[in-house]
Amino acid sequence: MLLFRGEEHVARWCVQWSQARGALLTIDQAWRLARAWYQNKMDPAWRRPTLEETERLMASLGLTGPFWNLR
Amino acid sequence: MNGFSFDNDVRLQLYRQFVASGEPPTSENLAAGMGRPLAEVRAALERLAAGKAIVLQPESREILMANPLSAVPTPFRVRSQGRWFFGSCVWDAMGIVAMLGDEAVLDASCGCCGEAMGLTFRAGEPLPAEGVVHFAIAARRWWENIVFT
Repeated sequence: MLLFRGEEHVARWCVQWSQARGALLTIDQAWRLARAWYQNKMDPAWRRPTLEETERLMASLGLTGPFWNLR
Repeated sequence: MNGFSFDNDVRLQLYRQFVASGEPPTSENLAAGMGRPLAEVRAALERLAAGKAIVLQPESREILMANPLSAVPTPFRVRSQGRWFFGSCVWDAMGIVAMLGDEAVLDASCGCCGEAMGLTFRAGEPLPAEGVVHFAIAARRWWENIVFT
């Protein structure tokens, strides 16, 4: 997952590296995803979330649709 | 000793040593820190990697990623708690900020043109900044090659 100055830079990168455009998140959306995913990683009780838990987390952040589908 | 409990102890020791020193611990460092035989710690690391809790380097079997921390330098660098850490991608770099729960600075650059881009976090939130995050690989394929996401 890379950081870009804007959408036009993403478009240029996709052409340069022959990559299809994936999903674009704002800084704030990416931060909320990172926080939900990692903030408790050092807790003794941490365990890898189940598929269903991950799906619920993504849906709670509005990350739905084929790109975010885990199955 | 309960297998899950020991593996979780190894995982916690790994993260704590990594964060305390700013350097990825070797399996020998971990074994010494826990007072456990190296072979037991290596076996636990392999089980943690099989369970996708961490990622090991392909040949040495030392830590590559204790996500969100990267054991090798990357273009995504975070300053937190007075130390520098690397994330494997911008999402992981943000994850370091979230995990360490501190004010932080994230240094990166535009994936396209290389222009320097920095994010500053205060009171648990990023200050307004220009930029977008691009996820190139669909979520269900992330673990096909976790080094390339």
